[in-house]
Amino acid sequence: MSLDLSVFNRFAITKKVGEIIFCEFEPGDAFYLIQSGKVKIVKIVGELEKTLDILNPGEFFGEMALLEEAPRSATIIALTDVKLLEFNRANFEVLMQGQPQIVLNLLKLFAKRIYDQKRRFMVLTLDDIQARVADVFLMLDENGPRPIDPSDNSRTFPNSVDDIAHWAGLSVNKASEVLKQFVNQRRVEIQQGKIIVKNIMDFTRFVKSKRQE
Amino acid sequence: MPKATQYKTNSVIYFQGDVGDKIFILKAGKILSKSNDIETKEEINELVAPGEFFGVKSALGRYPRDESAIVLADSEVLVFTVPEFEQLVLSNTRIIMKMLKVFSNQLRRMHGKVQNLIGKGTSKDPESGLYSIGEYYYTNRQYKPAIHALTRYLTLYPAGRFTVEASDLARKAGQGAAKTDSTAIFAAAGADNEEPDFSPPTPSAPAAPTAGPSDPSAAKGFFEAVALANQEKYADAYKIFQKIVATNVDPEHSAKSEFEMGRCLVFLGKFDEATKHLTGLIQKYPKHPDLKDALYFIGRSYQGKNDTTWARNFYTKILNLAAEDEPVAVKTRKALKELEGAKV
Repeated sequence: MSLDLSVFNRFAITKKVGEIIFCEFEPGDAFYLIQSGKVKIVKIVGELEKTLDILNPGEFFGEMALLEEAPRSATIIALTDVKLLEFNRANFEVLMQGQPQIVLNLLKLFAKRIYDQKRRFMVLTLDDIQARVADVFLMLDENGPRPIDPSDNSRTFPNSVDDIAHWAGLSVNKASEVLKQFVNQRRVEIQQGKIIVKNIMDFTRFVKSKRQE
Repeated sequence: MPKATQYKTNSVIYFQGDVGDKIFILKAGKILSKSNDIETKEEINELVAPGEFFGVKSALGRYPRDESAIVLADSEVLVFTVPEFEQLVLSNTRIIMKMLKVFSNQLRRMHGKVQNLIGKGTSKDPESGLYSIGEYYYTNRQYKPAIHALTRYLTLYPAGRFTVEASDLARKAGQGAAKTDSTAIFAAAGADNEEPDFSPPTPSAPAAPTAGPSDPSAAKGFFEAVALANQEKYADAYKIFQKIVATNVDPEHSAKSEFEMGRCLVFLGKFDEATKHLTGLIQKYPKHPDLKDALYFIGRSYQGKNDTTWARNFYTKILNLAAEDEPVAVKTRKALKELEGAKV
């Protein structure tokens, strides 16, 4: 996206590495577009700070604040020194008039977020917890990179058991129990920092059969 | 150019689950959007209004269609590719705004449904949530985020359930930050005091909305201004501090604010004004808890004006007054080093 954003310089703010841009639970009244640098989205779960995502230049965050001042649902921390454009409802109109392309991108982002939430909902409504864990892998695979060789059905996920538990809405204990069963059935391999699904098509069929029940 | 297309009764424009890249507007006729509720699986039947877009979200993201579009009576439909659609809405931004509203409503609803399923709907209230984040980062010695969270807490809940704890932690985090990063001067208000000096409403005496030694509005304004200063918005912060001093409903925050005004002036580069202001402050409050910091900022002002002799005088004085490991002493030694460096 090579857009001339110089007219928006008055909305520019900078943050140094390690600084919070906003904090989970604060009321939100602005959304941000990253101009340079990176931020991470984190949530404190139990006693651990979990990174949910890392965002790069051209990406937005805090967009829900445009429509409601609900508490922020995660914390955003500068991963490098960052330059951001900060928009609120009042100056959103300026953005709309000056750079509708950005707002159109925002619209696309909303479409993606709705789809992601729906997909997540589909996972969570599976009663069979094995199927739920399997469906988490399918979901992650849909969002992940395409395999170089399309006939290759094995998939490597850079995720931890904690991540899988989080997406499946299960306790870590429950999730690792299920994963252990998969390991025993030789459907899954767990290695340092990654989980390998031997045959993703096998999981696709498995989830499909459970969903139809 | 979008194509006008005729559809016969009982034909289907697309099925639920199809992946397509076309966007449609109903020009004339009757089209049914048929979908299933994601929760109850109940069938939802809605008529597409003439002039209304359909198939937008799925086409924009290349996702499976949520609904089937079924033609109930012979219809005329305009069919757009995604680039054609984009071109149209870019020249008619009201459409984007309208869709943004629709999408965000859907998103909010979906988000709520997911949260319900994972049982987070009933988790922490925002107040204790925000405090616990500050506490988490403080415990993990990540002072910058701790200070942010705690300052926000104090701004939002000047008379809250954790105000006493939060101001205490903010002060300690400020000290921690000053040790690891002496540029975090504004770290927490009063970070360098011997005693916690901002007067949070004590839990035994919940703040009454009347003026008093712990007037919550003064406290709120104060923390807001500190937050602004943290964001380097010194001119805005200055104005609020100035107002707190002028109204003087709360002697403690007035005194603190008067000091903060001096700091802001230094950061704004108004060194003459800063020197005058801070000298006045020291005369007015010879026992001001931020005395040593006030001296430090006078030193900084002289340094800013390249008056190294006077800057050195003030810095030396601070080192005589302060204990070796006090944050203000650390800052001062660093400033002195800078002075030496500048001389060479």
